[in-house]
Amino acid sequence: MTFPRFLAPLFWGATIALLAGALLMAVFYAPIEQTMGPVQKIFYLHMPVALTTFAACFVVFAARIGYLWQRQPVWDDLAQAGDQVSVLFASIVLITGMIWAKQAWGHWWTWSPRLTFSLILWLLYVVYLMVRQSIESPDRRALVCAVYGVIAFLDVPLVYFSTKLLPDVHPASIELAPEMRQTLLVWLLVAPIVCGGFIVARYRLFRLARATGAQS
Amino acid sequence: MSQVAHIFQIAAKDLQIEARSRQTIGLIIVLGVLIVVVLGLGLGTGGRVEGMRATAILWVAYLFGGALCFEKTMAVEAYDGALAGLMLAPVDRGSIYLGKLLANLALMLAMALVVTPVGVVMFRFDLSVAPAGFIVVMALSMLGFAAVGTLFAAAVTSSRLQGGLLAVLIFPLCLPLVIASTQQMLGMFEEGRALAGPGLGLLIAFDIIFIAASWLVFEALLEP
Repeated sequence: MTFPRFLAPLFWGATIALLAGALLMAVFYAPIEQTMGPVQKIFYLHMPVALTTFAACFVVFAARIGYLWQRQPVWDDLAQAGDQVSVLFASIVLITGMIWAKQAWGHWWTWSPRLTFSLILWLLYVVYLMVRQSIESPDRRALVCAVYGVIAFLDVPLVYFSTKLLPDVHPASIELAPEMRQTLLVWLLVAPIVCGGFIVARYRLFRLARATGAQS
Repeated sequence: MSQVAHIFQIAAKDLQIEARSRQTIGLIIVLGVLIVVVLGLGLGTGGRVEGMRATAILWVAYLFGGALCFEKTMAVEAYDGALAGLMLAPVDRGSIYLGKLLANLALMLAMALVVTPVGVVMFRFDLSVAPAGFIVVMALSMLGFAAVGTLFAAAVTSSRLQGGLLAVLIFPLCLPLVIASTQQMLGMFEEGRALAGPGLGLLIAFDIIFIAASWLVFEALLEP
């Protein structure tokens, strides 16, 4: 993929402006929630990032399938980029979730279905990074990662249903004020843009590294 | 019919190698007993460990023993071009996977036959509440675990960090098994429920999905 040179700074400039706007909205525009107080504002980051993580995981899965099918390094680079960004976003989900849980329930961690689900998902995708470091041959590495990716993706619904067996404390649905909903919508726009930007940036870096033979 | 015969032939070959060298079985039994002892001491001695914890401790012993077992049964193929020979044999590659799975299950079963009584005795775990349920849940969990483990043992044979890597690869994948079997055991031993419900369904689903998926992708991972 080749882009005109000016596109990247333009994209990131616009994204940073959007992110700043979304932050200001969350802090000043959205009202303070009655029972939980200001800490509820972490929700605007937490929920959209969680949804974006699922989307990023799906990109990884699609790229892994692509690799198994065509055995082209392009797919491996895309999957690797998607994986790194997935781990980053899943980490943000876990950390914001823990901060929120500490304030809302008084504990950093409970073994509730959704927390456990996020944690296992995070573990599943962190393993990719470990596999990458452990296998020297690039072809072998891509192949093992591809197989692992398919198996891990099949595992996700099983993880989801198994965590359903655990007792729950998460809210099933939340009533939102109009200002809250608008703020949430802006964040739902920002999170995927940042995520997509990261994935494309990493992907281009991996492509360049492969083209110049700088791949580790 | 011949495919079933192939599967048993491959399993028999692995078990024969094991019967002659007796490397793996001794190792995993001792490892399993050690894990039970270490966790027993760590959780407090003198019968203060509640019965239910015994199932969790046995799980840990099976997990680590199993990971070692999968590695060993695949590692024997690394010598003297054995894997190349196996791949040249006129059998379906899926059969190789199922044969290996069978051999691994036999070894894990042998380990469980020793380690389970040790755990039950040491933690005064009352197995008589639901002995059949215990066996079914553990057997289903082991099958699922071995299905994933056998696949990835083939994946890591040629990589640099063999030992740790296999455990890192398969433990997160098997967490649904741990959750489902633990919840099922809790239901059976603490609440006196029968062997049924979503936990059991999940174990069966896990086994079917991963045996089928591994059988399909195993071929891609074989490399002499």
